[in-house]
Amino acid sequence: MSGINTVRLKGKDESGRVSSRVLEERIQEAVRSGAQKIEIEAFGQHGLGGRIFLPEDKQIMISITGSPGQRVGAMGSPGTTIEVHGPASDDIGWLNAGAEIIVHGYATNGVCNAMAQGKVFIGGGIGSRGMTMTKFNPRFSLPELWVLGCAGDYFAEFMAGGTAVICGHDPREPENILGYRPCVGMVGGRIFFRGPVRGYSQADARPVPVSDESWQWLSGNLPVFLEKINKLQLLEKLSVREDWHCLVARTPLEKAGGLTRSMNDFRREVWDKELGKGGLIGDLTDLDRSPVGLITTGDLRRYVPVWENRKYMAPCQASCPAGIPVQERWQMIREGKADEAVDLALAFTPFPASICGYLCPNLCMQGCTRKAGNLDPVDITILGKRGISSRVPALPPLSGTRVAVIGGGPAGISVAWQLRLMGHEAVIYDLEKVLGGKMSTAIPEHRIPGEVLNAELKRVRLVIPHVRLSQRLSGNEFEQLKKDFDYVVLAAGAQKPRTIPVPGSERIIPALTFLKNAKQGRQDTGSRVVIIGAGNVGCDAATEAGRLGASEITLIDIQEPASFGTERLDAENAGARFRYPCFTREVTDEGVVLTTGELIPADTVIISIGDAPDLEFLPENIATERGFVLVDGKNQTSDPGVFAIGDIVRPGLLTDAIGAGRKAASAIDEMVYQAMPDKQAFRLKSLPIDYSETSERIDYSRMTLEYYDPRATEYNDLAGCASQCSSCGSCMDCGLCEALCPVGAIERKVLKNGQFERISDPHKCIGCGFCGKSCPCGIWDMVENFPIG
Amino acid sequence: MQTNAAVTPSTLSRRDLPWQISWDIHTCTLCGRCTAICPVNAIEPGVFRKRSISSPAFGLKDKPGSSFSVYHGIRQRTDPGYACVGCSMCSLVCPNNSIEPVKSEITDMLRFHRDRAGLPRTRGGRRNNSESVLDQIKFIRISMLTDPALDAGRHEFEMRTLIGRVLSPAKAIKAQREKGWMPPVREIYPLLIGGMSFGALSPNMWEGLQMGVAYLNEELNMPVRICTGEGGCPPRLLRSRFLKYVILQIASGYFGWDEIIHAIPEMKEDPCAVEIKYGQGAKPGDGGLLQWHKVNKLIAAIRGVPPGVSLPSPPTHQTKYSIEEAVAKMIQSMSMAWGFRVPVYPKISASSTSLSVLNNLTRNPYASGLAIDGEDGGTGAAYNVSMNHMGHPIASNIRDCYIDLVKLGMQNELPLIAGGGIGKNGNLAANAAALIMLGASAVQIGKYIMQAAAGCLGTEGDRCNICNIGRCPKGITSQDPRLYRRLDPEMVAQRLVDVYVSFDTELKKIVAPLGRSTSLPTGMSDALGISDKGAAERLQIKYVV
Repeated sequence: MSGINTVRLKGKDESGRVSSRVLEERIQEAVRSGAQKIEIEAFGQHGLGGRIFLPEDKQIMISITGSPGQRVGAMGSPGTTIEVHGPASDDIGWLNAGAEIIVHGYATNGVCNAMAQGKVFIGGGIGSRGMTMTKFNPRFSLPELWVLGCAGDYFAEFMAGGTAVICGHDPREPENILGYRPCVGMVGGRIFFRGPVRGYSQADARPVPVSDESWQWLSGNLPVFLEKINKLQLLEKLSVREDWHCLVARTPLEKAGGLTRSMNDFRREVWDKELGKGGLIGDLTDLDRSPVGLITTGDLRRYVPVWENRKYMAPCQASCPAGIPVQERWQMIREGKADEAVDLALAFTPFPASICGYLCPNLCMQGCTRKAGNLDPVDITILGKRGISSRVPALPPLSGTRVAVIGGGPAGISVAWQLRLMGHEAVIYDLEKVLGGKMSTAIPEHRIPGEVLNAELKRVRLVIPHVRLSQRLSGNEFEQLKKDFDYVVLAAGAQKPRTIPVPGSERIIPALTFLKNAKQGRQDTGSRVVIIGAGNVGCDAATEAGRLGASEITLIDIQEPASFGTERLDAENAGARFRYPCFTREVTDEGVVLTTGELIPADTVIISIGDAPDLEFLPENIATERGFVLVDGKNQTSDPGVFAIGDIVRPGLLTDAIGAGRKAASAIDEMVYQAMPDKQAFRLKSLPIDYSETSERIDYSRMTLEYYDPRATEYNDLAGCASQCSSCGSCMDCGLCEALCPVGAIERKVLKNGQFERISDPHKCIGCGFCGKSCPCGIWDMVENFPIG
Repeated sequence: MQTNAAVTPSTLSRRDLPWQISWDIHTCTLCGRCTAICPVNAIEPGVFRKRSISSPAFGLKDKPGSSFSVYHGIRQRTDPGYACVGCSMCSLVCPNNSIEPVKSEITDMLRFHRDRAGLPRTRGGRRNNSESVLDQIKFIRISMLTDPALDAGRHEFEMRTLIGRVLSPAKAIKAQREKGWMPPVREIYPLLIGGMSFGALSPNMWEGLQMGVAYLNEELNMPVRICTGEGGCPPRLLRSRFLKYVILQIASGYFGWDEIIHAIPEMKEDPCAVEIKYGQGAKPGDGGLLQWHKVNKLIAAIRGVPPGVSLPSPPTHQTKYSIEEAVAKMIQSMSMAWGFRVPVYPKISASSTSLSVLNNLTRNPYASGLAIDGEDGGTGAAYNVSMNHMGHPIASNIRDCYIDLVKLGMQNELPLIAGGGIGKNGNLAANAAALIMLGASAVQIGKYIMQAAAGCLGTEGDRCNICNIGRCPKGITSQDPRLYRRLDPEMVAQRLVDVYVSFDTELKKIVAPLGRSTSLPTGMSDALGISDKGAAERLQIKYVV
């Protein structure tokens, strides 16, 4: 040591303890004056030996005796060697940037905290938080900490670089030489240790074998360390490779990978093992609870499309009292079978042209789905009018059952027509010369051209024999008919005009009489006509009066007139005025005097407030109510052999009478064939269509009408009409659903009978509802799938 | 609707609904996924008319014309019974981002029509109000230098709490010396999963939560506990070691208790505790309401009822006619069931009468605590009016109770468990810590777990909220396998673990600066501040601006 420039500094002199600031000034002064060695007798001063900045080729030795304070060698620089001859206080080597520090004893807490370069050799153990926050800077050599004994708690927290060697010689804690919870937050560097440990942060560090390269470094540097701390005699003991272990920091990737058991493993190895197969409720249910996707098929769909072709009745058919399957006829036309479509009507009505084409207010059109969608209904009258040319259908052989029909109006003709089509003999008894009832006698020609009605009546006469009665039917004659025939159908209508009991009522002409006379050209009206009762019959009378030359026509009613449709329009066009409320006080030769005293001048006064049936001939066992015959839902009277239809039951439309006739005929037919179901089935099959008359009407909301142009309001021909029919409830085979289905699940399948059906493949269908919500005909329905669990 | 359909008082336009479906004709590929997934059939495939007018040069031979065409797309239904609930499942399944519900910015008219046939609106979910006093509370005591500041990342924490009656040292020593009865106490994690019944939740959700709880206990050493809610407990769970992680709930409907009684002699472990439910924050004064849609065979079997019936629980426990009797009798019976080895505590809706219950419990040696559920609690089914307007905020209620205990010198003896709206805006750890510092020993959560662990879509903005009718689009509250199979129990369990582990970190981030690491800062209200003077005074915490 002689020959080098040595400066001695005392931590305590004659004036007492030297403050850390003053001692530091003296150290720096000594360095500036060229000292190569500084010997310090420390007295608790802070930060000794740090911050000594020398030229690169210079070295300095700081030798400390006494008791140094904290942070010996703090911010130490390269070229500085510090030797502490005894134990060291906290934070030795703090922020060390290159100094070599040797401690010949133990060091307390915080050894090498945030050290970036340099080497620290400890000849004993260290306190807590050693080698924490150390750094890694590739531009310099990495920091090293050598500890002869053991580490304290929280060792190597947030260690980022360098090497720590814990020799575990004569440790304070022989069972755990790395202390409590080492390596928390460790991100870099390595730790060699020798001796037992009680865990470390496995999230941050992992053990690696001491490789040959590592061992070469360790065994090569061990003697250096031991020499520095003057313990070379321990070399042999510490040089057993097998005693050494190494920890390194985990990479971020390794940390993210997770050290814990996967949930899947936990479920298999712990959860299901404890609870049993199927887990929590495996004993209560065997339902498959495995995960499924959001879009599912088959049984896992929430909704399933169902092809409900012809399950429901089209609204037009449901609205028609005669039950004519209107939509079927348009379908036939779309299929090019116009003649069949026209002829089909005869199975339901003997008057397709007269009634459907002219006289009916067309309830089918009023009920048409298109109307619900603000579109004009398909015009049935075009198709109806074509019915004039329909030929008589083939008649089946007679069954032997005979039915007397009293009344040759639309009701009577309808029941007789249907009965004959069913194979039963029906004979009509009527007072008039010609068949047709009011259609022939009372309804004005402007509403029904004579040639149309006559052509249809001619067709009727080919089918039904007609017996003309010379006088009104008496009770005895009725009883005779009952004996001569198996069934009797009352269809005599309402012939007795209602009138009002006012003075001068004898001056009033009943509307029916007026119309009949007018039709035969036997009625004079004068120029002023008053009609009491402004319903549709009143309107007909008004129109006829106009035709006959009346110029001042007044319809009066006690309430807002119930007339509507063609009748009303025609009357208005004839110049008729409607007045209400008007109550008649009397009828004089000047006209009608109202209760207000007003006189409405009239040459002719007509009353049209309805007609009542003439029931005098009926036996007592046929029940009546308020002047009408009482019937059940099948039009059967209280006498099981007697049926009643038409206005004798209740006032109604022509089509109501036609429908009632068909219903009564079916009821009789059923009674005849009760014992012969086969034959009945044959009859149903013989119809050219398949449908059920008992089906419910399809819900309007099922059809999609957006396909139809709201501006298409004029129909000129059958094809034009047919193209606008939405075919409610019956598939028109357009194939839209197949085209629209997003997964191509829908397939058209031809059945053995030549019919077809559409099926949705459950393996493909996702239950989106496109088929159901876009079908013009409302065939596809989306129903909830069956419940599971 | 049909353009010419009759207008009724309840006829609404699309604009009148709370949610409008925005659909893009240009990108929609008509794949049908949105209509297949919509839980309430609010959307359906639609056919639309399109018209275009041609206008050639006027006055020449060509006349203006109209041409008609049709296109297909998605239509929103306006019938109040099919109003969009805003769940956005359509958006989730749309491959082209063509569809989504948009919340109306104007007052919807639907709210005035949700009483068809005289039936007021019922729904699941929570109070439709996102305000939260808890969110406003700040932790203002940051002990950087004044106390040993702890590092949440490095320090070791024991975030545990005690459920059960903790005897005062004097009483404990006396009991020990005389070999007397010591009340059972459990050391558990302070964030409990509150009662959500098997029935309210789907089997996959329930199993996922239980599995996650078992994992937290057995793999991560976090003593998390979960309450069954009122609907019984699957027999296998009762007979497994996992029962010790479970708090069994008994409520006024007593559903499923015969199964529990049958299982008692076969139990490997005692349950963590028994919770007697007297009320819940979402619908104070009303009982449970499992609607028939959800009572299938499985649920019926576990609850001991016929399938397909609605299961309303009475608002109160029958046969108990005074608070003393109600509380004492039930606590006594439930304690006796496990030989006084299991903590038993009541759960009530937060109420201005909570203190009466608490004072009663302080005199009852068998009472192990008091759980209080605030107005922001959620539920699977309740009347809208109960949910939105009934109940007491949790913050001041728990504070009053804690201060009451302090006055009695029993704040360390009788633990308070707070619930209702914790994490309603996502601030789970902050809300939980605030309640703990106001005086709760533990907090319990329900909705948050549904949102975080299972992807529940419900919000305080009246989104989805159809838990009650069994159509939960995420399969959380449905009993239909078609829906609940969308939920993988393992994923739920994993998410639950994620939630707890991250909550744990956040809770440490809050308590570490306070210098707390080994005991929960229960009642440490000097750490709390709020910028609302009224709230500060009411809660007896610092007013800070």
